[in-house]
Amino acid sequence: MEHASARPHPDAALLNPIENPGRTYYYIVVGLLVIILYTGFVYFRQLWYGLGVTGMAQPVTWGFYIINFVFFIGISHAGTLISAILRLSKAEWRRPITRMAEVITAIVLAIGGLHPIIDLGRPDRISHLFFNGRLQSPLLWDVASITAYFTASTIYLYIPLIPDIAILRDRGVKPRWLYEFLSWGWQGTERQHKVLDRAMNILMVMVIPIAVSVHTIISYIFAMTVQPGWHSTIFGPYFVVGAIFSGIAAILVLMIVFRKVFHLEGYLKHIHFNYLSILLLIMSLIWFYFTFSEYLTGFYGHEPNEMRVFWYKFAGDFAPYFWAMIVCNFALPVAILCNSKTRTIPGILIASISVIIGMWMERLIIVVPSLANPRLPYPTGIYIPSHTEWMLFLGGISVFILGYMIFARFFPVISIWEIEEGRHESAKIVAERITSYMPDPEPSATGE
Amino acid sequence: MNKKTIEALQVLSISLIWVLFTGIAVWIVSLLRESLRLHDAPDASVGISIIAIPVFFTLASILTYVFIGLRKGRKEESEP
Amino acid sequence: MKWGMVIDLQKCTGCGECAAACKLENNVAIVEPRESEMGRTMLWMDMLTIYEGEYPRLRVRQIPRPCMHCDHPPCTKVCPVRATYMNEEGIVAQIYPQCIGCRYCMAACPYTVKSFNWYKPSFPPGMDRATNPDVSVRPVGVVEKCTFCIHRLQMAKEQAKFEARDLREGDFQPACADSCPTGAIVFGDLENRDHQVNHLAHSPRAEKLLEDLGTEPKVIYLKEVD
Ligand code: SF4
Ligand code: SF4
Repeated sequence: MEHASARPHPDAALLNPIENPGRTYYYIVVGLLVIILYTGFVYFRQLWYGLGVTGMAQPVTWGFYIINFVFFIGISHAGTLISAILRLSKAEWRRPITRMAEVITAIVLAIGGLHPIIDLGRPDRISHLFFNGRLQSPLLWDVASITAYFTASTIYLYIPLIPDIAILRDRGVKPRWLYEFLSWGWQGTERQHKVLDRAMNILMVMVIPIAVSVHTIISYIFAMTVQPGWHSTIFGPYFVVGAIFSGIAAILVLMIVFRKVFHLEGYLKHIHFNYLSILLLIMSLIWFYFTFSEYLTGFYGHEPNEMRVFWYKFAGDFAPYFWAMIVCNFALPVAILCNSKTRTIPGILIASISVIIGMWMERLIIVVPSLANPRLPYPTGIYIPSHTEWMLFLGGISVFILGYMIFARFFPVISIWEIEEGRHESAKIVAERITSYMPDPEPSATGE
Repeated sequence: MNKKTIEALQVLSISLIWVLFTGIAVWIVSLLRESLRLHDAPDASVGISIIAIPVFFTLASILTYVFIGLRKGRKEESEP
Repeated sequence: MKWGMVIDLQKCTGCGECAAACKLENNVAIVEPRESEMGRTMLWMDMLTIYEGEYPRLRVRQIPRPCMHCDHPPCTKVCPVRATYMNEEGIVAQIYPQCIGCRYCMAACPYTVKSFNWYKPSFPPGMDRATNPDVSVRPVGVVEKCTFCIHRLQMAKEQAKFEARDLREGDFQPACADSCPTGAIVFGDLENRDHQVNHLAHSPRAEKLLEDLGTEPKVIYLKEVD
């Protein structure tokens, strides 16, 4: 603990944002805080007057809040899930990516989880959920699974963070008490490493089913009703695929931003983007496959109510969004990512942003058209979100950026110890692993 | 801040996590009892409780395991 | 006991008297015209416009539509706090002080009958003091719908108890049935053989809305014959 803080560290680029945040950082924080304050005001207005300030009406009784809920929770899937899969499969290139991904999960999940509460007509009665809740309702399944996912992914973020916190503590970064408190007396002894490894192994295995269950259950909110366009058995896996898809796009965007802002070109190399973008490409194809089978079965069955929703999406009021979604989620990313010439960093950035926009539209297309086409002949208007809903959407994004910035201010966004460990050990481990894949030499050859 | 306070805070935070998770478990069980009383879909409720409660407790145990493991694993000289 | 309603479309002229009576009886808010245009009109008893046949033999008619009080209600299953439930007498009721306003039940109802209080319920000047004292005015942010005038049932039961007799068929009639000038709406106990609805429900003309969904509505329509 007596190390001087001036000691040059091999990963100084990762420590720099924490040790010298710079002035622009504070400008951005102030800017975001202004947006968030205004959002708070807008939300307070909604509390005061009621949900009438939104654009929702009958029969479109769910709007932006539920769409954003599904969307944000979807984004959150990338993080912990991808990181756990990469760790489990021992992909060595995961090292600079996992932490960034896990942070997305923790922050976005907190934001997404708040959306159903924003959507309530009577948020003041939220305690009824605790005292009179009914486990029969899919909404309660959601409460349970999101809580589990949130705690699991926070723990999963925190445990591999401990050695890095200890590095910061040893370098005497302020506030010292924070790092002292969070580092749990880490000294990097062999026994401590063993404990950490074991805990992480259990968590990795646990986190994957929890993550999958969360989005499946979110899809159940829709699939458990009997409404046309919602009541579909494919919804669970369809939502999970969409979630992972949008999540990977979010990781890619963040990686590109961090690489630019913190000058991490040495850590996030082209190969990382290449691998992840190929994953994005695969997810895009799977997503298209699911979309195709979802709509084909609806179309072929030709049930009149189903068909009304179908045509509403394909050629009616929602056609522009529907076709834009197909372009954003399928045509554009596939075109860009298929070709290794366009699979460059700007190309990947465009593809990822288009996927994020496209996935948001997908959620819109799932939630609104089914509600806008009730079975009985009612006059239906068109849902136009109000200023309040747009502001809360923007506010949600601002909270995400701010949360990420605060995290990056206090903790390294790339796991320093895992990089170091990789430098020292992975070449040897991988070489050993590859030899173990090789066919054993012929007995005759050794017998000589 | 001195070492003692920090240590006390650490123990406190771990215990709070246990309190939280026990709270969740109690909540789920009370919902379960409610649903049995009202006869609405007890099967779904039982299913959820069987999965959810152990998940929360495993998470808390992992944290505690790491906490204790890291304390035990410290170098000799830093032990008081 | 299973309360139910039969609406005879042969008798119904589509005048909308029942819808108006319901609004007054149950203190259903009268929203401002601008709100109404957005689709926030609140009607427990709505008039559905049905188009039959094709031009030139097109027939447009209006039929009354209360809550169907489904025997297997998709709306009560999804409510996270039991603010909507089916009581022992088959009435799907709302508990306003319990509702958290998640609107899940609205999304789940295949008949789209529920209304939400987007703002604090408003009444035109003067009318706010003429509200029915037997029915509470709902607060902002909760869902409401037709209750089969459950408050009238309460009063009828008390009256019957006071007079030390059983409930008779005419004792409990919802406002819509009371008000219908042609007597097209008949209300009673579907399981009681002495009640008119029991017979009408088994008429060959009887049909239910969206019967194939398996919700088993307790509001039964009698087809027109012409
Ligand atoms: S008609 Fe709708 S609100 Fe009424 S009981 Fe059936 S599902 Fe519920
Ligand atoms: S809006 Fe109210 S009654 Fe409807 S599901 Fe939500 S809490 Fe239940």
